[in-house]
Amino acid sequence: MRIGSGEGFWGPIVWVILALGILAMGFAVWLQGRRTYKRGTEQEEPFLSGEKLSKGGGAVAGIHLYWGFAEALRPLLSRLVAFHSGFVGDYVGWLLVVLVVSLLVVMLS
Amino acid sequence: MGNMPFVVSMILVMVGFLTLITRRNLIKLAIGISIIEMGVNLFLVSLGYVKGGIAPIYTYAPPGAKEMVFPTPQALTLTAIVIGLATTALMLAFAVVIYRHRGTLDAEKIRELRG
Amino acid sequence: MLIHAPILAIAVPLLGAFSLLGLAYLSRTLRNIWACLISAFTSAMAVAVAIRAFTEGVVVYTLGAASPTESVTAGGFPIRIVLVVDGLGAFMGLIAALAGVVALVYYFQYLKEEEGKSLGLSLLLLLWAGILGLVYTGDLFNFFVFLEITSIAACALIGYRTWESRPPEAAFKTMAMYTLGGLLVLISVGILYGEYDALNIAYLSKAITGSLLDKLALGLLLGGLLMKAGAVPAHMWAPDAYGEAPATATIVLVANTQAAIYAILRVVFTLFGGALAAPGIGWLIASLGITTVLVAVLMAVVQRHLGRLVAYGAVSQLGYMLLAVGVGAVARGGFGEVALTGGIFHMINDAASVGLLFFVVGAVRRATGSVDLLSLGGLGHTLRWEAGFFLLGALALAGIPPLNGFASKFLIYESTFRASPILAALALLASILLLAVVVRAFQGAFLGPKVREASPAPRGMLVAMGILALVIVVFGLFPGFFIERIVSPAVQAVLTGREAYLAAVLGG
Repeated sequence: MRIGSGEGFWGPIVWVILALGILAMGFAVWLQGRRTYKRGTEQEEPFLSGEKLSKGGGAVAGIHLYWGFAEALRPLLSRLVAFHSGFVGDYVGWLLVVLVVSLLVVMLS
Repeated sequence: MGNMPFVVSMILVMVGFLTLITRRNLIKLAIGISIIEMGVNLFLVSLGYVKGGIAPIYTYAPPGAKEMVFPTPQALTLTAIVIGLATTALMLAFAVVIYRHRGTLDAEKIRELRG
Repeated sequence: MLIHAPILAIAVPLLGAFSLLGLAYLSRTLRNIWACLISAFTSAMAVAVAIRAFTEGVVVYTLGAASPTESVTAGGFPIRIVLVVDGLGAFMGLIAALAGVVALVYYFQYLKEEEGKSLGLSLLLLLWAGILGLVYTGDLFNFFVFLEITSIAACALIGYRTWESRPPEAAFKTMAMYTLGGLLVLISVGILYGEYDALNIAYLSKAITGSLLDKLALGLLLGGLLMKAGAVPAHMWAPDAYGEAPATATIVLVANTQAAIYAILRVVFTLFGGALAAPGIGWLIASLGITTVLVAVLMAVVQRHLGRLVAYGAVSQLGYMLLAVGVGAVARGGFGEVALTGGIFHMINDAASVGLLFFVVGAVRRATGSVDLLSLGGLGHTLRWEAGFFLLGALALAGIPPLNGFASKFLIYESTFRASPILAALALLASILLLAVVVRAFQGAFLGPKVREASPAPRGMLVAMGILALVIVVFGLFPGFFIERIVSPAVQAVLTGREAYLAAVLGG
């Protein structure tokens, strides 16, 4: 079952078979791992670039995720938030803008 | 002068939009929308007018009558008036509920939903 | 009876909406049974109409005539009100049927009796009748009437929970916008009636010459319908409405918004498809579409309210559909056909994934009483099924293969690239951003240590979510099958079906 776009195609079944193949390869690699590690030592801890994990470790709320990304876009985002003012008059004003633009485009084309 | 009703109805629409953009009271916003509705209804009903025409009721037409106005735009206008009534009533009801919650009708202050 | 299926699909839910309130006074069990009967019958009728339209071509049903085919007088002038269902209308009817049935399954255990259960059920059926009428009608004034029925029902549904402060505010704002949009449509209906003395879409389409008044009418129609379809910058009602409406109603609200996109397709390709087929209109819709995608996704990044976050995601998906419609209107054939296939297929995919996400948001709100991402967390420990469904819906929304969102977005990207590579790049970028946003929402709500107790959703709600999840997976794995059966007739109806539409109504 493939769908074509004229240039490329998308076959989900092929994709699923490939994905299963890659998963099987990953499983094979995992099977090569050592079974003789010692429980309860530092061998069980995740390796994070050699950093020590802090014991308490506060929970990361969803709002903190991509914090840097949102911070970098702050000028744009704050303008967008201000644009969504919540004032009904603004809603109507922007509707008029869309109306005028569509009238102009239709008249001129 | 034949185009006067259209001009008046378009002026009404403009007045309504101006009300919506410049006023902040929720009741006045509902009034603004009603004014636009009146403008559109006037536009519709004046579309079907024939100069010197009588009301389009066949059985009541006087014997010498020559022309009747179009009945369809009148039917459309009636429907539009009923719909306008429903929307205005609903908007006013929401305005009352909002007033009960916030104690104000100022649209600038009723902005809990933003951003 | 099947010959009367188009009008029954509209009349039965209308009857149900009003009789339900009376029955609710008698007995609640009776009301529930009645609602199930009404919805089963309505969706059966919608499916019957769709099968007829897909196999036999355009279905015409004339009201007030001895025979359903007598839609014009001997002189070829239409005097009666007609319902015309071509491939596109039938497809939209199927979406409405899916949304209505799933919403009803979810409904029974979602609201408590004291939360206005009868009222919400009645409004839901009214909105459903409005949507079906909107997509089936072949008469421009009836189109306006059904538009207003959907507006009133939708706004009442958003705001009927008057004991909270946010829903009435959202409903007031949405109502103001919907009414204005409806009035713009009404002015344009008046202009077309004054010019051609007719309201029949097929007759008007044949008569329209492309004069200045026609252009005015097209501009007004586009302005009103683009607002209703949630195009930036007139989209601001959409996050308010979706975020505050009861979760069960949101999928029907989404179907309602998609009906506006259907209306744009109908206006641009059928009504004005003969005389005013300039590519400028397509570029207008496509550029508004890409702006919608970008603005909505960026706004979703900063949301703390889970419902509003998903609502902005839903608006961005509407942008993808507008983009596809615009590209289709630019090209009208060739890669435009690919774009329209993607856009129309995306409608049903979007209804499924957005509906699923809102259902989960409703379950979270019901279980914890909060939808604030700052206070939520660790819900995956107790709400296991909901967490899985949210992840599935979120990945489908962001267009991750092999789910259904990818299949339709793939077609949109490929065709948009051939119209304008910049638009395609921006659309891809927005899709990546959307993935970041939904992953953030999933992490915030469901992962992490357990912070509060939550009771899992009852079985009825889970069944409704399961149906949508099944749609997402099956449409994702077998897109070719569904495109061939239900999407392709709709695309053909848009691109080349204008002649068949006119011939079916006007004869010859």
